Amino acid sequence: MSNELLEKYSIGEIQFPTKSGLASMLVNKDKILDIIQKIKEDEKLLYDQLIDITVVDNISSKTNYSSQRFTVIYSFLSLRFNKRLLILSNISEEDLSIDSITQIFESANWFEREVYDLFGITFRNHPNLQRLMNDYNFQGHPLRKDFPLTGYEEVRYDENLKKVVYEPVTLKQEFRDFDNESPWEGMKETIKKEIGK
Amino acid sequence: MSDNFKPVTLNFGPQHPAAHGVLRLLVQLEGEVVNKAEPHIGLLHRGTEKLIEHKTYTQAIPYFDRLDYVSPMCQEHAFALAVEDLLGIKAPVRAQYIRVMFAELTRILNHLLNIPAFAMDIGAATPMLWAFEEREKMLEFHEAVSGARFHAAYFRPGGVHQDLPDNLADKMRTYFTNFPKFIDTLEELLTENRIFKQRSVDIGILSKEDAIRLSCSGPVLRASGVAWDLRKSQPYDVYDEIDFDIPVGKTGDTYDRYLVRMEEMRESVKIILQCIDKIPSGPVMVEDNKITPPKRSEMKNSMEAIIHHFKLFTEGYRVPEGLTYRCVEAPKGEFGVVLVSDGSSKPYRCKLRAPGFVHLQALNFLSKGHQLADLPSILGSLDIVFGEVDR
Repeated sequence: MSNELLEKYSIGEIQFPTKSGLASMLVNKDKILDIIQKIKEDEKLLYDQLIDITVVDNISSKTNYSSQRFTVIYSFLSLRFNKRLLILSNISEEDLSIDSITQIFESANWFEREVYDLFGITFRNHPNLQRLMNDYNFQGHPLRKDFPLTGYEEVRYDENLKKVVYEPVTLKQEFRDFDNESPWEGMKETIKKEIGK
Repeated sequence: MSDNFKPVTLNFGPQHPAAHGVLRLLVQLEGEVVNKAEPHIGLLHRGTEKLIEHKTYTQAIPYFDRLDYVSPMCQEHAFALAVEDLLGIKAPVRAQYIRVMFAELTRILNHLLNIPAFAMDIGAATPMLWAFEEREKMLEFHEAVSGARFHAAYFRPGGVHQDLPDNLADKMRTYFTNFPKFIDTLEELLTENRIFKQRSVDIGILSKEDAIRLSCSGPVLRASGVAWDLRKSQPYDVYDEIDFDIPVGKTGDTYDRYLVRMEEMRESVKIILQCIDKIPSGPVMVEDNKITPPKRSEMKNSMEAIIHHFKLFTEGYRVPEGLTYRCVEAPKGEFGVVLVSDGSSKPYRCKLRAPGFVHLQALNFLSKGHQLADLPSILGSLDIVFGEVDR
């Protein structure tokens, strides 16, 4: 990574505790277009292929890279230098929008549509920002952490009405979601106290 | 076009034999020439990524079989690598050889479905029947190691689930020594076949620049003349100890994509045979009972083993906090996993990067200006499976 670019754009380089040595940097979301253009064209970097765009919903986790609701992760590959780069950018719940990079990488089109569909993040200047994965008139954004696993609506074919009907989800059995937290490990303090007596 | 013709919009699919699954295409036609082909996907969307967030790491493995359901083991491979990366462990050498062996077996299985399906789309029915017979024989090897013909759940973080059964290596050696003969007979049917060539040569040409620009990977990228293969350029497991070549195409048309896949099968056979010769003895799983379950025999005698077993199959193992991206060269291209862990025993976020998703996006570009009848040919050559496109 050329240091000059890093200093100019990133909030601070972050190291992930991975052994694969994946290069990554955190970028201010206003600068995203600028920096992606640069890493694509800079002769020392030449990240010429967009691999992936995805989002992490940070609502219930504390991470070392974000204090805001969403983190967009762009993944790039340089075929020339055989290097990968992750670019992270944080998005707050108040302003759920970021610039679309479709004008730089054409293949970002569907990745951004998918993110819009599943997380509800809008991409400014996207040519066709429609839902991609979900049903045509689906409500909500399912990959957000506050969207229930079972969803809100279920679909079936009604033999009498001769059409597909949408109904609110009814569960035959209560939805069970175990947190898998071990009770024994939480007891450490109690056990200590008991022994202390 | 004269004024007498108005563009017609045709709805292709979602249930169409040539759509390779549930693809809905809105095709805008001028006469018989495709103006625009807009895929509508998501009809097989099952919310895999959301489901994985609610399962432990062990329970998440079977979901990977159900993504691209014709190359299950390669996807488990990516997940296993990602989890191992976060855990900071490495599979034992024997397990790595087994993984490479079966990843290549999966590649042959995948290509043996795609090639005849593609041939069937453009008029050849026999390859399908021939290839399925061979596939069936190979699925027996799948079954021998994992107990399942398709949904194997065989590659686990930390190694593979079980060691190879006795004699399997010898059986595989006999089979794969003879397998190239089958590839020859398949080639006799197709490679110089006049009808096959008329319908595939110079159809759906993808130049080197376009292939890179459209984020293509795998055989599609290589057929366009880019010598890029993750097994060579970013080797994982023991690929760097094995000698094999990367077939590269010239023009990047559908015919080249077929040729690349054909040649890849021959290379895969080479890799499998080398693995059988080189495979060392030893454990096939990391021997740390905090991550991998203890042996059944141990559980009969050891209380500790029972506790480990119970903990692993209720709570699961905890993965340290972190973010990683690991990818493998799946038969269809680069399959990657972005894995975020918050330190609990369930993945916090698991994004699946499917090669088919990206290739299908390129369909509009590829089919522009072609006849409607060429559309299935292009679609078939991209090797689309909806399990991974829709996830």
